[in-house]
Amino acid sequence: MALDKLYQQLVLDHNRAPRNFGPVSGATHSARGRDALCGDDILVELVIEDDRVVRAGFSGEACAITTASASMLTEWLTGRSVSEFDSAFGQFEQVLANPGEPPCPLLGDINELRAVSAFPARVRNALLPWKTILRALEEG
Amino acid sequence: METVESRVKEQLNVHALREQFPVLTREVHGKPLVYLDNAATAQRPLKVIEAMDDFYRRYNANVHRGVHQLSVEASEKFEQSRSAVARLLNAASDREIVFTRGTTEAINLVANSYVRPKLQPGDEILITHMEHHSNIVPWQMLCEQTGAVLKVAPINQRGELLLEEFESLISERTRIIGVVHVSNALGTVNPVAEICAMAKRHGVPVLVDGAQATPHEIVDVQALDCDFYCISAHKMYGPTGIGALWAREELLEAMPPWQGGGEMIQRVSFSGTTYNEIPHKFEAGTPNISGAIGFGAAVEFIEEVGIERIADHEMRLLDHATQAMSKVEGLTIIGQAEHKGPVVSFTLDGAHPNDIGTIIDHAGVALRTGHHCAMPVMEFFQVPATARVSFAVYNLHSEIDVFLDGLEKARRMLA
Repeated sequence: MALDKLYQQLVLDHNRAPRNFGPVSGATHSARGRDALCGDDILVELVIEDDRVVRAGFSGEACAITTASASMLTEWLTGRSVSEFDSAFGQFEQVLANPGEPPCPLLGDINELRAVSAFPARVRNALLPWKTILRALEEG
Repeated sequence: METVESRVKEQLNVHALREQFPVLTREVHGKPLVYLDNAATAQRPLKVIEAMDDFYRRYNANVHRGVHQLSVEASEKFEQSRSAVARLLNAASDREIVFTRGTTEAINLVANSYVRPKLQPGDEILITHMEHHSNIVPWQMLCEQTGAVLKVAPINQRGELLLEEFESLISERTRIIGVVHVSNALGTVNPVAEICAMAKRHGVPVLVDGAQATPHEIVDVQALDCDFYCISAHKMYGPTGIGALWAREELLEAMPPWQGGGEMIQRVSFSGTTYNEIPHKFEAGTPNISGAIGFGAAVEFIEEVGIERIADHEMRLLDHATQAMSKVEGLTIIGQAEHKGPVVSFTLDGAHPNDIGTIIDHAGVALRTGHHCAMPVMEFFQVPATARVSFAVYNLHSEIDVFLDGLEKARRMLA
């Protein structure tokens, strides 16, 4: 059932024990992502050296979907380049728009969040960390 | 207790009453719908649906314009609805009821027509910390545009107004007080009559946001002795997009029109325009006729069931829910005022309201999560959001148990 796919073990695990949670020392880029309607409020912080994400972290308070999405994304992002993030964002949006398609190899575990497509009111939560990181990269 | 219960069962047969609400028979995710989001909008009984259907099927026409039969019938029904709303609020006359799009538009009307012309830079508008955004933002906009200052009366940890502090914030520069009758986010029922008496001592007019009050309790604007009372039909079993402003006749007479157009005029020429009489002076353009007719039917529905019986049933639901929820480990009820409407806002440790909302939806339970259009309240209680159950006349005690089971499931799932 759709609900069990959304709140599957992997997602719940990332929510219970989010990776890269907490302040990032020496952050070069950061942005705050808020969704007042839901009550999500996260801060993403990145250390970027030579166009590569050396460290990525987030803090704040958010629902399980936002938290899991931020946890998976920061894990995925560490060690990758800014341009890889840009193309992955496009692919993630494609995955959400076509949840029946085969998973995108580039995204790994993040593909599991495609279950959120069955919950239109919650897609915004899965996207919030992505949008926030995009803003951090654009605004510094 | 038993005798009281049995007497109430005689008074109100909830199961029979539920048959008047077609939506309550549907299923959500394969489960019977348990609708506990009534403070956002209530469901509509057949009486309302049929009244609106009948208008479109049999006598759809513009009001107050034509001499033909359909227009006469539509105008009669439209005005009968105005009378019904006047009756509901115990207004002194039908002329004191202005149809609006809802509470929000009623507040904006008063802000712009009544308050704006009086404001000088440094004048004050006094509201409370528990207002809905609709009773905050129109005043903020007015302040920005005129240099007036918005003052906010504080609340305590139970979610009650601090009346002494409230009174101390009334100054000789206060031009209006805006106060919510029943808080949608906390359930608090404010002592509006007392506040109006207090305001009178200082010669300050009071606007009451009554959106959450009229569905659940007797509202008598003359007894409250307020100056403006704003309501929405859809909170009280009526359609969306229609509501009303009540104001005392002399206030409405003295106020300039807000929006210009048809209907609100008596005579138009390029050298000048004569405005229509109240309340039509404030109803520019073709109104929401079917909405008004549905609103009238909603008032009749409440009258037929009886507001005391509605309140009695809802207070039992509130007691049941409050007691049961107090036993849930990690659950905090936000808003524990002594006098409450049938609303329980809460947080649950380890479960974000958003996730509770999604998981419980799959048990067929509709509840509200988020800031409830009262972000300053969330800020005060230092929570990002809450989940909220709110009851109406058709809710069953067994539905509270379904909700509690769903809550337990959400907790297990997220633990």
